[in-house]
Amino acid sequence: MIDIEVLGVSKIFKRSQTHYFSIKSAFVEFVKRGFRPMPKHTIKALNNISFEVKRGMTLGIVGKNGAGKSTLLRIISGIMKPSSGNVIIKGKLYPLLELGAGFHPELTGRENTIISGLIMGMSKKEILKKIDSIIEFAELKDVIDEPVRTYSSGMYSRLAFSVAFSVDADIIILDEILSTGDISFQKKSKQKALEYKKNNKTIIFVSHSKEDMIHFCDEAIYLEKGSLRYKGDVAKALELYEKA
Amino acid sequence: MKFITAPFELLIKYHYLIYILAQKELKIRYRGSFFGFLWSMLNPLLNLIIYTFLFVIIFKNTAKAYPVYFFCGILPWNWFASSIMESSMAIVGAVSFVKSSTLPSEINVITKVLANGFNYILSLPVLFLFLIFFHIPIGINLIYLPIIILIEFFITCGIAFFPACWNVFFRDTQYIVQNIMQLAFFVVPVMYFDTQLPLKLRKLIYLNPLAYLIKCYHDIFYDNIPPRPELIIALLIISIVIYVLGFWYFNSKKEVFADYL
Repeated sequence: MIDIEVLGVSKIFKRSQTHYFSIKSAFVEFVKRGFRPMPKHTIKALNNISFEVKRGMTLGIVGKNGAGKSTLLRIISGIMKPSSGNVIIKGKLYPLLELGAGFHPELTGRENTIISGLIMGMSKKEILKKIDSIIEFAELKDVIDEPVRTYSSGMYSRLAFSVAFSVDADIIILDEILSTGDISFQKKSKQKALEYKKNNKTIIFVSHSKEDMIHFCDEAIYLEKGSLRYKGDVAKALELYEKA
Repeated sequence: MKFITAPFELLIKYHYLIYILAQKELKIRYRGSFFGFLWSMLNPLLNLIIYTFLFVIIFKNTAKAYPVYFFCGILPWNWFASSIMESSMAIVGAVSFVKSSTLPSEINVITKVLANGFNYILSLPVLFLFLIFFHIPIGINLIYLPIIILIEFFITCGIAFFPACWNVFFRDTQYIVQNIMQLAFFVVPVMYFDTQLPLKLRKLIYLNPLAYLIKCYHDIFYDNIPPRPELIIALLIISIVIYVLGFWYFNSKKEVFADYL
């Protein structure tokens, strides 16, 4: 049973999409180049990527900053559209690309939890049912009705993380978020990730931590400058990544 | 069929999220201030006092209860104008929402319109206060208010989708929109009576559906007469058409939003 199928996905960003176009830059450009035509500038963020992930497997993605990991995750999640190729997803997918989506510093922890949960795709019923266990998991019972701006950064990310991990889905995408909070909380969150694994969820996992990679992933791919260089054994992928 | 139903299905499916986000907008606006939500009433009240003073005492405008006329028009106008201006920043201001969640980004636009709608409803008690103060009877015609509010909601959402979308690709939109709104204020009979205009101009002004909408507000509050039923029906149809068109225009552009933010 294949849950995620990525078929020849490429993503090209045009110059105008990555740079702001303004009268100032147009003027500077004109002074520099005169009437000569502008060179067509495109950035190939992903180049013909294909792979598949079987149900219950955890796939790790490694690669340097700018290798296209986040773009790939966004395309798999359906947030971005690939320039060519396509992605087939079977099951309910839940992308965890950013912690604290929709958090506002002036609102209380409780208000933020509800908003964030809804934004992550929970229903009203679901979030109201889970809110107590979320607060408990975040260890923030005493301060939950205070504005989030009074929280320390550790408390903030603990709350964001707890909301994020309360969502139920078949396919989960984790983008470098296991290294949140202090050591005891990290332990807890890794426990939670293992729980997902035990419940036969399909996981795509991005991390810069070698230890986490080896610990969680069944398979790994190595991305370099938008191209898929290696797919298979985790240790081998990490080796390639470290050498590069 | 889906062309007509999908824009409304989105509203039904995400009504709770939209409601909560609109509430959040208002909470953030007033959090930390001593009067809090009361500002939604205090602001129009203070405005009205200033305008009354200006128009009645300084300019000696002799029209019957002119401040009330002005007021029942400017409140819905403000709802419309603020929604459009805020919506132009709705998508560029919600980067994390657009780039890391799979929810439809239409929600951001609708939220702004709804939040300003709440603001309008909160300012109604002040309007009633002034109706009483100026001895204008508050009549049965108020039963039309909910439908007029609904019409304005759909018209505003529909129009707001366009600048929200354009501003992603062209960030000057928000400034252009602000200026257009200032100009548009004079095209709609809020400050003046339509009867003060030469016939030709009057016809021109009523090419704009918003002018009819404002007229409905004047009917039920100021003139205390029921709005013409065919007008209400026409406006309702127009509002739905605008909403559906705006929705699909936005929808056709939204898949590249994440690339530009």
